[in-house]
Amino acid sequence: MFVYEKKLQYPVRIKNCNPKLASVIISQYGGPDGELGASLRYLSQRYAMPYPELKGLLTDIGTEELGHLEMVGTLVHQLTRNLSEDQIKTAGFDTYFVDHTTGVYPQFASGYPWSASTMQVTGDVIADLTEDLAADGAMA
Amino acid sequence: MNPDTGTNSRPCADACGTMPACAPLAVPYVPFQQRGSQKYNQADALANGTVFPGLNLPFHMKADAAGLPDNHSTQLQALLFVVTELGLYLDTHRDDVEAFQLFKQYTTMAREAKQRYEEMHGPLTQLAAGQDEAYRWLDDPWPWEFKKGD
Repeated sequence: MFVYEKKLQYPVRIKNCNPKLASVIISQYGGPDGELGASLRYLSQRYAMPYPELKGLLTDIGTEELGHLEMVGTLVHQLTRNLSEDQIKTAGFDTYFVDHTTGVYPQFASGYPWSASTMQVTGDVIADLTEDLAADGAMA
Repeated sequence: MNPDTGTNSRPCADACGTMPACAPLAVPYVPFQQRGSQKYNQADALANGTVFPGLNLPFHMKADAAGLPDNHSTQLQALLFVVTELGLYLDTHRDDVEAFQLFKQYTTMAREAKQRYEEMHGPLTQLAAGQDEAYRWLDDPWPWEFKKGD
C-alpha cells in the first residue's frame, strides 16, 4: 500500500525555463537507468528475496525512488512551462513537443519510450543485486 | 609447461579450464558499512544527499548548491531525509542500538515538524485532510509547482 505525501523529498524551484536541458533530463525520468525503472526494479525484485534485510531494503529504496521520480518530473515540468514559440522550436525539444507538448512523458533522451526491457527480475538474489549495482551505479 | 623456460615453474598456471588456485582473475568487494559511523546533522544531510560523511562522494564538477532556505518545508524535508537514511541503515544493521536511538529521536522530531507544517500549509496526506474544517487537499501549490514570489 502506498500513501501519498503532498511534498517533494528535496525542494525544486526553477525560475528560468530551459527546454534543451529538459530534453536531456527526461532520461532520468523514463530512460534506461532512470527513476521509473529503478523503482519498478526494486519493488518487483523484492518478492523473491528470502532475507528480511533485503525485503526491507528493496521496499524502502523502491519507495524512495518513487520520490526521486516525482522530483525529476518536477524538474522537467519547471524547465518547460511558459515556453515562448521560439523556445518550443529548440533543437532537441521540438521533437518531444510534437508528441507530448509540455506533458512529462517517461522516455529515453533519444525519444524511445520507457521500457521494462531495461531492467530484469530473475528471482535469483545475487543476479538481481548485481543488476541493481549496475543500474543504480550508473545514475543513483 | 612454460613456453619461455620449458619448465612448470609458473606458480599460477591454469589447468583444464579451472581457476588457478592462487590467483582468481578478480574479486569484486563491497565494504560493509561499519557501526558508529559519523553522521551529519539533518540540514547538512539533505544538502549532501547522505547522512553519512563516509558515503559522501560528491559529483565530479559539482556546482556549489545554493544554500537551502530555512523554512517549515525544508526543515521537514531535512528531518524526513534523515529518517529515510537511518531507516535504510537499520535495514542492514537492526542490532545497532545507538543508531536506533538516533532514529527514534528523528522520527519524533519529524512527526512534530509534520504537524507544524500541516497547521501552516495544509494537509500532507488524505488522513490529515480529514482533520480540517473543510477539504483543503486541493489547495495550491502542488509539490511540482511553486508560486511566483515564494
